[in-house]
Amino acid sequence: MFKTLRFSFRIAKRSIGRRKFRSALTILGVIIGIAAIVSLMTLGYGMRYQIETTLNEMLGAGVIISSRDGSADIPEYVQEYVSQVPGVNASIPLIMTMVYINEQPTMIVGIDPIEVASLYHVTYEDGRGLEPEEDESIIFTSTTANNLEISVDDKITISSTGLGGIGQTFTVVGILHTVGAEQMNIGCFITLEAAQKLLGKEGYANTIMVRIDDPSQGEQIEAILENMYPTAYIAREEELMSEIGQIMDIIDGVLIGLGSISLAVGALGIMNTIMMSVHERRREIGMLKAVGAERRHILFIFLSEALLISFFGGILGCIFGLFGVYIAQWFIAMLGLNITIPLIISPYILGVALMAAVSVGIMAGLFPSWTAANIRPVEALRYE
Amino acid sequence: MSNPVELRNVVKTYDLGDIKINALRGVDLTVKKGESLSIMGPSGCGKTTLLNMIGGLDHPTEGQVIIDGIDITRMSEKKLARIRREKIGFIFQFFNLVPMLSALENIQLSMNFVGKFTESEIRDKALELLRLVGLEQRMYHRPTQMSGGEQQRVAIARALANEPSIILADEPTGNVDQRTGWKIVRLIQNLNKLKSV
Repeated sequence: MFKTLRFSFRIAKRSIGRRKFRSALTILGVIIGIAAIVSLMTLGYGMRYQIETTLNEMLGAGVIISSRDGSADIPEYVQEYVSQVPGVNASIPLIMTMVYINEQPTMIVGIDPIEVASLYHVTYEDGRGLEPEEDESIIFTSTTANNLEISVDDKITISSTGLGGIGQTFTVVGILHTVGAEQMNIGCFITLEAAQKLLGKEGYANTIMVRIDDPSQGEQIEAILENMYPTAYIAREEELMSEIGQIMDIIDGVLIGLGSISLAVGALGIMNTIMMSVHERRREIGMLKAVGAERRHILFIFLSEALLISFFGGILGCIFGLFGVYIAQWFIAMLGLNITIPLIISPYILGVALMAAVSVGIMAGLFPSWTAANIRPVEALRYE
Repeated sequence: MSNPVELRNVVKTYDLGDIKINALRGVDLTVKKGESLSIMGPSGCGKTTLLNMIGGLDHPTEGQVIIDGIDITRMSEKKLARIRREKIGFIFQFFNLVPMLSALENIQLSMNFVGKFTESEIRDKALELLRLVGLEQRMYHRPTQMSGGEQQRVAIARALANEPSIILADEPTGNVDQRTGWKIVRLIQNLNKLKSV
């Protein structure tokens, strides 16, 4: 059995070698399919990772209360009531919104600097942190600062539209040290009061982050808060995560679907190549049968050709797919979008892609190989 | 001791839609061990059909084909393949070597399908056969790098590989010049004595 397999592979290898150009084209078909799947899945994976870690970093909270439409309509004093709910460790009112800085959409968070210092351990790459009541200063995360080419002591204008125009001027006082993965740190921070002034909503916030002592109490506390503020959108971190996870699943599905179409085209290429190979080698098949090859021997010979093609295509496709992620990153950067999708090489994705290549190859090779195996020797030998 | 080949009233009819062609009309034939038999006749008289019947490549319409005392008339494809590789060696008019394999590998071919040999046994045996047909210096050459006569000698070596009890040669000299043809006939005759086929 083992011997037969080795023998089949040897013939298949030579057959591929003999028709170099055709084999190369077929392999290219598989490469394109697999590369598409690998790059799209890796991008999706990077996106998911980034969103989840960003959320984790930003929220770090058990429960998040936010206004339903994102506008700042939660009175600041609500926070005091929230803090009194048993099980709540701390609650921080903040304003989280998109603004334009240097005509780039940027996430801005208005938050009390003292609260931040009490909750997070923050270090600065350059400059210092915000002081309370320092309403004309701003700090940036290093990623955003790099993207916008901003450094300490720069004066920048924040406007709520992309058209520039009249905005408010802030002085950059600090650049946050990057914590963990670079992608977790996006946006910039000003004081809550400054953000309120920016939106013209003094005394209001659009989000209240609630830290709880015991994660298992989350559901209970969420219910209490829901009773207190039926008009607000209240979500536990886990819920939010799973919601985002669902959206990401849909995106993943679409991406995989797109990749599969190109893989299907690759499969047709394999099928065509093996069909041609069978057709060209009819006499050879007849001869092999005459010297005593059984159906399964012939089947193996052609299946192993399909297998080799799809295996090489799969491996090269993985490499090109990862390369494709680089190109996508470069493309995003070229469009000037302030988004960084990290390249995270996932062995799982590569494994799945390789498995997909090989199984699709075998499936595509099965029909022509079966045809070959069933060729009657007399007819094949008579065939010119 | 049963005879290597025994045909009983073998009929083969080719059905080509409207016309039925009777290629064989009741052939009775017995070949004894060590016997060598030439069948001659004009083109289309059924020589190839007869050999295909004996070689288990085709089923007769009527009658029985018995190889080494085994009735192969209604055998399954799988069993026929076994018979072919263990009892029969084929030599064809158009050499029919696998173009992707070297001379040596072509000879190893049918031994590969038999489970009982190890790789080194197969190699040794193939080398011995190549020496027998005088082509040991060509062992790594592909069929396209050899002359017709040389290819046919490789084909003969291959036919002998599994020590068959029957060698079937369908116009083995048909595609080489006369002198080479004679050499091949002589080679087959010598082998007949040597290997008692």
